[in-house]
Amino acid sequence: MKTRIRNGANAGIVFGIVTIFLILIGFTGTAAELISKLIHAGSLARSLGMTEGMFSLLLFMAVLGILAGWYGGRQLRDLPDTWSSVLVRSTLAGAVHGLLVGIVVYVIGTLNANGVKMTTYLPQLLPAAIKQLLFGMEPFPAVVFYLILLTVMGTAGGALGRVLGRGAWRHRFAEGWRRRWESLQHLPSVQWVAGHRWSRFAFFGIIILLIVLLPLVLGQYWNYTLGTIGIYVLLGLGLNIVVGLAGLLDLGYVAFFAIGAYTVALLTAPQPHQLNWNFWATVPFAIILAAIAGILLGIPVLRMRGDYLAIVTLGFGQIIAILLKSDIMTPFTGGPKGVSGVGGPTLFGRGFTDVHFVYLIALSVLLVIFVTRRLQNSRIGRAWEAMREDENVARANGINVLTTKLMAFSTGAAFAGLGGLLFAARNQFTGPEDHNLMVSINVLAVLIVGGMGSIPGVIAGAFALKGLPEVLRELEDYRVLAFGALLVVMMILRPNGLWPTSRRKLDIKAEDNAPPDPEAASSTKGAQ
Amino acid sequence: MTTAIETRQLLKRFGGLLAIDRVDLVIPEHSIFSVIGPNGAGKTTFYNCITGFYTPDGGDILFFDESVVGLTPDRITRLGIARTYQNIRLFSSMSTLENILVGQHSRLHANLADAVFRTPRARAEEKHAVSEARSLLTFVGLAGLGDQVARNLPYGAQRRLEIARALASKPKLLLLDEPTAGMNPHETRDMMDFIRKLRDELEITILLIEHDMRVVMGISERIAVLDYGAKIAEGSPAEIQGNPRVVEAYLGRGDASTSRRRRKE
Repeated sequence: MKTRIRNGANAGIVFGIVTIFLILIGFTGTAAELISKLIHAGSLARSLGMTEGMFSLLLFMAVLGILAGWYGGRQLRDLPDTWSSVLVRSTLAGAVHGLLVGIVVYVIGTLNANGVKMTTYLPQLLPAAIKQLLFGMEPFPAVVFYLILLTVMGTAGGALGRVLGRGAWRHRFAEGWRRRWESLQHLPSVQWVAGHRWSRFAFFGIIILLIVLLPLVLGQYWNYTLGTIGIYVLLGLGLNIVVGLAGLLDLGYVAFFAIGAYTVALLTAPQPHQLNWNFWATVPFAIILAAIAGILLGIPVLRMRGDYLAIVTLGFGQIIAILLKSDIMTPFTGGPKGVSGVGGPTLFGRGFTDVHFVYLIALSVLLVIFVTRRLQNSRIGRAWEAMREDENVARANGINVLTTKLMAFSTGAAFAGLGGLLFAARNQFTGPEDHNLMVSINVLAVLIVGGMGSIPGVIAGAFALKGLPEVLRELEDYRVLAFGALLVVMMILRPNGLWPTSRRKLDIKAEDNAPPDPEAASSTKGAQ
Repeated sequence: MTTAIETRQLLKRFGGLLAIDRVDLVIPEHSIFSVIGPNGAGKTTFYNCITGFYTPDGGDILFFDESVVGLTPDRITRLGIARTYQNIRLFSSMSTLENILVGQHSRLHANLADAVFRTPRARAEEKHAVSEARSLLTFVGLAGLGDQVARNLPYGAQRRLEIARALASKPKLLLLDEPTAGMNPHETRDMMDFIRKLRDELEITILLIEHDMRVVMGISERIAVLDYGAKIAEGSPAEIQGNPRVVEAYLGRGDASTSRRRRKE
């Protein structure tokens, strides 16, 4: 019984602290606003004697309460999984949760009622927000209300958790879907389609059609966002080679992005050098320069591993960022104000619109995916992965780790250079602020969220981290918070990323002529 | 008979510790040669010197009459020396077949451009490599497991895969580091047969570090005994078994020698 009480109370305290934190930063109000937009329950709220905002806040609090109860009543190894145990714990969790939140609401409400200007301490707590938080009641009834609401919700959450959340049930569910999916794969018609040589072309055809048609129906804003996502896919694919495949943790990756961007900017812009090159002529320069920079930065760090490598590359990234801002470089790079008037690409004498840029970026992404796939499945790619797995054993298997590392650095850098040049040309501007540490970290986050070493993972990660914040524009102020929360949740639920790598099947392949072991062939055929 | 590998007055020092103390060894081609000794005697250090992970502080290592001292591990692998590890070190998240393909690295030639443009040369090379890797899998008894991720293989299979990966470089000399560690008597017997088969069918030289005396005495043609980095005996299994210095090294003679023995390899 004592453990039960402790467990339930602990869950309540955890959720209490989280909820109080959300209240104090004003997130509860934003969440309520989002919910109102989502469900439009104005008339229902009014019939209950509340404003729409209060009703939405109530729903949000109810969800938090259910979560607290669910968490409090979750299955624990040292506790019996009985109804009484679950309900005791979850109700207690709800009560503690409600009590803590209630106390804070009471304090805020009383202070406000006594004429203390809460906004001086916590800018989010406007009088209207406090009124909403109190559900229009006096402070003390509000505390009772919170206590009752969160206790009831906690009990409900615990019950819900017991009904829905148990391992066996979830397992059966997942297993059922897996079996359905597998039987689908075994259907003769599905096998015919999947095995047909045209099905791959059809798949790529649909994707290309999407890429061609989508920008035409989207507005300027979404095309710009799509372009940004595309550039992050390029950067992610480049870093994927360095970190995901070769296992070299490079935190100064933004340097190559900057080199690509500045090469194009300085060669095409009227200031500061008046070179006015054609955009297309600068493309090979930007990519090659970035690749060379990759080798140059790679040489000194060849013998470093793990953390040391990360720190030193971090330093390189910072050096580039500081150099770009410094006075010494101002005559050469335009200094802190950057380079404006970067020449964009032209085709048949016409400049590129946003739609064209999406096409150009998509084309680059396809090209980079093609190159990555080819490299990944080659002797070089295997050497990279072997190095990532165990550098010493890789050396003992005849891999020259020095050249192999440099190849990874320069290939990754070349991709980043391509990303940088597209970025500068599209924005017609590039400056030091575009190339700060956050870019390196964002790209790394794309990789981690998507799945190290996986091409679809990088794409999924770029959409999740660069696309989602645009979709959730409402959350603007909390983007970083949501970002962090997403990363934490991701790492718990899918530690290998949204779309982890799968090993290529090499052993038994239909188009190979070598006669495989017949017994093995029959047992693995289904997996093809 | 030709000499596969010869060490002359090989010396390796870690600070004040003599890990390898002027060891002379001559290992004839096509033989199975065991290096034994108590824990910390310097056996693995000896391997690390041969494979280029450590640079010796003195002496010379001749591989088919050519010095390999100062060469990097990958160069030495190219010359024809391959090894396995005491604690299995596979590329564990790669597939079984890919592990073997990595083993072939030094014999393949595809460069960046070949890989990106998939030139006919690279394509043919790759195809040949895959089929060769498959027959190697069959040779070590892992046929059909090529698409398994290496870490999911059972222990015995992992040992075999490690050997297959080493064989993929077509070595002339194979260094095995405790290949039967952690195996039951049945598996150990299989491994002994397998090591003999390696030597006989592939015509390679095998250098073996092993603690299991049944294995050592059962398959070695010659045995060298290291103690405190120095070679204290060398000879046929029968000679080694009767050698009092070996018995002393393993079992000790009194309190003084047992306390001396506490140090790392």
